[in-house]
Amino acid sequence: MIGTIPTMIVALGALVALNVPIAIALGVIAVVAIWVTQGAYMLPNLALVMFEGATSFPLLAIPMFILAGAIMNSSSITQRLMDLAVAMVGFIRGGLAHVNIVQSMFFAEISGSAVADVAATGPIIMPAMIKRGYSREFTAAVTSSSASLAIIIPPSIPMILYGVIGNVSIVQLFVAGIIPGILGGLGMMAISYYLARKLGWPVEDRFRLDRLWETFKASSWALLLPVIILGGIFGGFVTATEGAALAVLAALFVGGVIHRDLDLAHLYRSAVDGAIQTAVVMLLIATSALLGVYLTEQQIPQRIAEGMMSITSNPYAILAILNVFLLILGLFLHSAAAIILVVPIVLPLVIAAGIDPVHFGIIVTLNLAIGQQTPPVASVLIATCAIAKADIWEVTKVNTWFIGVLLAVLLLVTYVPPVSMGLVDYFYR
Amino acid sequence: MQQFRQIYDRFLEVIAVFLMTLVTVIVTLGFMFRWAGSSLVWYDEIASIALAWLTYFGAALAALRGSHLGFAGFVNSLPAQWRVAATITASGINIAFFGLLALMGAKVMQAIAGLTLVSLPWLDQLWVTAVIPVASVLFIISELLRLPAIIEEARRGPLMDAELKEALGGHADEVAAAARAEAFRERTP
Repeated sequence: MIGTIPTMIVALGALVALNVPIAIALGVIAVVAIWVTQGAYMLPNLALVMFEGATSFPLLAIPMFILAGAIMNSSSITQRLMDLAVAMVGFIRGGLAHVNIVQSMFFAEISGSAVADVAATGPIIMPAMIKRGYSREFTAAVTSSSASLAIIIPPSIPMILYGVIGNVSIVQLFVAGIIPGILGGLGMMAISYYLARKLGWPVEDRFRLDRLWETFKASSWALLLPVIILGGIFGGFVTATEGAALAVLAALFVGGVIHRDLDLAHLYRSAVDGAIQTAVVMLLIATSALLGVYLTEQQIPQRIAEGMMSITSNPYAILAILNVFLLILGLFLHSAAAIILVVPIVLPLVIAAGIDPVHFGIIVTLNLAIGQQTPPVASVLIATCAIAKADIWEVTKVNTWFIGVLLAVLLLVTYVPPVSMGLVDYFYR
Repeated sequence: MQQFRQIYDRFLEVIAVFLMTLVTVIVTLGFMFRWAGSSLVWYDEIASIALAWLTYFGAALAALRGSHLGFAGFVNSLPAQWRVAATITASGINIAFFGLLALMGAKVMQAIAGLTLVSLPWLDQLWVTAVIPVASVLFIISELLRLPAIIEEARRGPLMDAELKEALGGHADEVAAAARAEAFRERTP
């Protein structure tokens, strides 16, 4: 029965090459497999499984975190956080590059979507950087790479997906992402500082405590958002899903009641975009549930795990193989599709090799963050280049510096587990 | 036809935003009542069902706007007539899949008529699962409405990757025009 796997992979590849949406390609493969192996009388299950596949309570967090990001963009919250970032790090050489990174890290604590980060901050910070003499390519590279911190620093939509699909604690995944996310941000700032000194880029203003205090006061409500959301989730007061609802409520309160500058027309458009993004991911989940029925029935993930374990049972060797596999996959697949396709198949292997599934979740997320930066399929990079009007391949040349940072963090997280698991072990085990 | 497409787009858009709002309100009410010490027994079941509705109505809207994740790279490397043939084939596969789903959904509805939800015993599951056949038909309508435009796009130049469209949001049309101009320049000696 394991011989059917190559046939399924070839058929899936052919459908995807025809530009059939990946979600539907998965569904078609599953329907044919079920029909051939179990008979046509099983087909009514198709509707039930696809309905059940889209009713997972923890996945409700996805539309709500998307909506929270949209509300932030529809009010002055994003601008206020940017002003604070200027006051905090604008005095360092290469100031606006640091502002860009710090701003992305602030945004990451509320939203969880890298594309949302680019859409929010890109049109504001990139023209400012280009005007101050930074090259268009560097500007796009630093904006794109720092935006990917949004999926590493909690909350994170790919982590929610991984948690639900792999039946892994989403809260522990969030906690495990904190240190790698901060390390990634600091690494990118170090690279920016090095390049700024080498190329003579400017500082923005000297450090002024009064300005820092002023911008801190102006953004204090916005800063309260991550404290409430992440504090609520980590403290066990709310689940990740409820934390997402809290994020929406808090962003609406701050934007609509405190700052009173919510742009309702923009909010409506963002809600439509959010609904579409949610539906696209959820349809993938629903059709993969269909494929999951077949894979589970045939015990295919377990067979792959056994096959792999007979070659090597060394967890570090397995992680190295999986890292290479995920990096290659990231070149061609969107992060949600990669998680949905890969996690159910490789997780039994990961568990059999004695690797903590939370640890592996952060490894997967880091690989996908790199995948967002590596063309040809690189959503965040391409969106950034379109906004900056920069050439994708020229930007990629500069971006190798930042991709290098993400790779270094990936290696550190892979081979020094306490980097991601230290906080999890301290708080939850 | 164009006017009908716009009205249809608006119709799906309003439903999607309504469901997005509904999901948020239900979950928010759920944890507020839990904090107040009187948990709503129905909230997680109904919120999950609302998510399924959002998924399928949103999927029909995403189909109309060509936002489902795919990979256009191979098709874009083909000559124009093959691009058009591949586009029509892909669309046919999408329609066939959702046609089957609509039929199976209708069968399931008949089979489960009379069963009710666990948390709301007065609500027949028939109405809950109706989303599958109804939204499948809407998906097919979306696919058919989009077909003339996507065939024209395939004939004129490279198709824009759905992922890129999602990533770009408001910038999508601008980039599509630039890509077409680029393809035109490449073909022009």
